[in-house]
Order: sequence, then C-alpha cells, then structure tokens
Amino acid sequence: MKAILLLVALLSPILGGIVYGIERKLKARMQNRMGPPLLQPFYDFFKLADKRALQIHSFHSLMGIAFFVAAWFAVFALLVGPNILVAVFLHVLALLFFTAGGFSVKSPYSVMGALRELAHILAAEPILVFAVIALYLTTGSWDIEGILSSGKVPLFEMPLLFAALVLTIPIVLKRSPFDISEAHQEIIGGAEIEYSGIFYEAVYTAKWLEYIFIGTLIFLFGGSNYLIGFLLVALTFLLVWLIDNSTTRLTVHHMMKFAWGVLLPLAAFNVFWIAIWR
Amino acid sequence: MFGFLKRFRKKSPWILHYNTGSCNGCDIEILACLGPKYDLERFGIVNKGNPKQADILLVTGPVTKRARARLLRLYMQMPEPKVVVAVGACACTGGVFRYMYNVENGVDRYIPVDVYVPGCAARPENIIEGVKKAIEIWERKKKERIELPKLVEGVEGEPLDRRTLIRQLEEKFCKRLPGEEEE
Repeated sequence: MKAILLLVALLSPILGGIVYGIERKLKARMQNRMGPPLLQPFYDFFKLADKRALQIHSFHSLMGIAFFVAAWFAVFALLVGPNILVAVFLHVLALLFFTAGGFSVKSPYSVMGALRELAHILAAEPILVFAVIALYLTTGSWDIEGILSSGKVPLFEMPLLFAALVLTIPIVLKRSPFDISEAHQEIIGGAEIEYSGIFYEAVYTAKWLEYIFIGTLIFLFGGSNYLIGFLLVALTFLLVWLIDNSTTRLTVHHMMKFAWGVLLPLAAFNVFWIAIWR
Repeated sequence: MFGFLKRFRKKSPWILHYNTGSCNGCDIEILACLGPKYDLERFGIVNKGNPKQADILLVTGPVTKRARARLLRLYMQMPEPKVVVAVGACACTGGVFRYMYNVENGVDRYIPVDVYVPGCAARPENIIEGVKKAIEIWERKKKERIELPKLVEGVEGEPLDRRTLIRQLEEKFCKRLPGEEEE
C-alpha cells in the first residue's frame, strides 16, 4: 500500500492533468459540444514550455513556482508524509505563496484576485480542518494508512460533515458558483493574470494538484472500503461539475455567508456530536 | 527538444480577441465559432482574454484613435511566438469607415498582420480557415525573434526595449486631458 501511495504522490501532476482533461471533456458534453481531447492539458503544458516568458520581477515568478512546489508538498504530506493535518496546513501555505505573488505586482486584477483568494482560504480551510479532525475522531488515526486500514467507513458516522465538504469543493477548486478569485470574464484569472510562459505553466499545473489533494480527502471518507471511496470521488466530482455548469457566479459576501453560516455550523455540529457520542 | 515542443503548438492555440471599434458583427461571429455550433475548443482553442498567455490576436474593427494605444499595448504584452489575424473588412482596410476622421484605416498600419479574413461580417467558416492559416504561420515562427509593432511617427528609441516603447507610446497616445485638442 505504501508503494502505491508513493507512486500516486509522485505521479500526481500527471493524474491531476488527466482529471482536468476529463473535466473539460465532460463539461463540453454537458453543453452539447464535442470538447477538447482528453490529453488537452498536456498539449497546453508543452506549448507553454515553448513560449517566451515575460517576467514582471523575480519575486513574482518565484512565488508562482513556490505555489506549485508547496502544492506538491501538500499532496506528498497527505499521501506519504507525516499526517493529514500537516497536509491541510501545507495547502494553505501554497495558496498564501500564490496570494503573495498576486499582491507583489501593480496590476489591479492581480491584486483583486489575490484579495479574493484570501477570502477563499478563509471560507474553505476551516472546513477542511474540521474534516481532518473528524477523520481522526472516527478512525483514531492521523495518517492515511491508519485511516485506510481502520476497518471503519467514516462516511456513515459524519454525513453532515461530508455534505459540507462536498459543497466546499467549488470554493477550493474555484468552480462556479464560487469561482470568485479567478473569474475569467471579470478579472481574467485574478492572481494568475501576470504569469506567462513557463511561470504560468507552474501555476497551471499547481491547480491540477488540487484535484488530487481534494480527491484524496474525499476518498478517505470511504475508510477501509475502497469501493465506497472510489464511488464517492466519482460522484462528488460529477456533482461539482454539474453545479459548475448550471450556476452563475456569486459575490464574496455570498460565499462567506454560505461557508461560515451554513457549512461551518454543519461541520462543527457533526464533529461535536461525534466527540460527545464517543 | 524544441522540435518536440513545436509539435504541440497546433494543438493548443490560445486566442486573444480585441475589438478596436467594430460594429460587433465580427465579434458575434467569433463568439459563434467558440460556441456549441462550431466549437473551436475541440481543437484546443480557448479564448483567454489575457495577452500574457495568448498566442493568436484576433483583431476586429477599423482602429479608432482611442483604441490604437491599447492595441499596441496588447500586441507588445503578448509573448513570442505570436500571430495576428485581422478579422473582417474593417480590420483589413477600414471597410465602410475608411478615410473617416476618427479611424486609422485598418490594423496593419500599426502592427504586422499575418492573416487577413475578409467579409462584413466575416463568416465563422472564414474565421476558422483564417485561424488555421494563422496556426500554419505560427508553427514556423521562432520564440527568439522579438516582434514589435511598426514604429509610428514621434516614437523613437531602442526597438528591442519593450518597456521604453510602451511608455513612449502611452505618452503619445494616452495623455489626452479634457480640453486638450484632438489630433
């Protein structure tokens, strides 16, 4: 099992790219279009490698690369490394690098995107922390191998928290209705706007890693029953893409109200309930 | 190595679409190309809206005097290799607006154009064919060769220095305060 997890962690950019390819294809089919080929993200990747990179300044470019590296570290911490709580904190760190890069340039769209990215962190990360705490409370383990071999299915003990986590995914992956920080028709990608060439490639690839990160968190809710885990991942992503295709963008205030007013109480109630009931 | 990477260019051209005062006829047709009926995304073509990440510049409209500084700026912000497609009669020659007091009679007075797509408005089939031709030209271009707009009167300086050129062009075209006389 350890070998498989290490392999997934090492290949996570490639796996994430395939998931992104599936997403683009499926979303196009939902809109009655043919859609790009499955390997389109990799074609984009190779093309971007052959473009001239216009740097704003070196710190900005460094933050783009640091975003990718930290995101990969987060996936490693989740799948191989110390424990899943560290993975969530590394995920926050990766997003903070990205925001630092966004704040470091003069472009108003970049600064606006970085500000909104901070709102995304505030909205989504507490729920991820609650999810990790609840996984510990039900399975008694902080690391992925312990959870996968605990003999329990965490989904059955925390349905409310799982529902909250599923509705958090659009916030983490920046999908509609919460694609606020990279609103493409409005602020043209937000904090990623000033990256070009090989530095944009790093930011582009770091986003593929988030699929693996969030997909693994969802998979852990299947516990030691892997079939339930895979079903959960597939159905959750399908639901997220359906919601993405059928809703319009909300504002930051809507997102914060929804996350802190609905999702967080749901998650907290479930966690306290489990803690008292045990 | 770079021969290997060049093979992927035709599979993922990203478009930047800029309207320099067109009547929106050609813009609607460009959007129709990207919509479900013609679906250019099946070839990996997406409308990026961001010059720093775009490869093909689709320009519509006869360049109005207000739009030219932005056009030049967008062209300079695009990283090489890049191609320009002038879509519609206005972008090619000025169209019905030719020799009017407020237009510049087409895009190629300011930036080098690779493909001209005629028509008023240009048909989606024509636009797709033009983009295809543009990709063929784009595949032959090298990223080492810096491409800058045609220098206009009153703007001098190092032709290779992007930032100085942008500043000079903005000084020439953008600083027009209320009460200042028009050219």
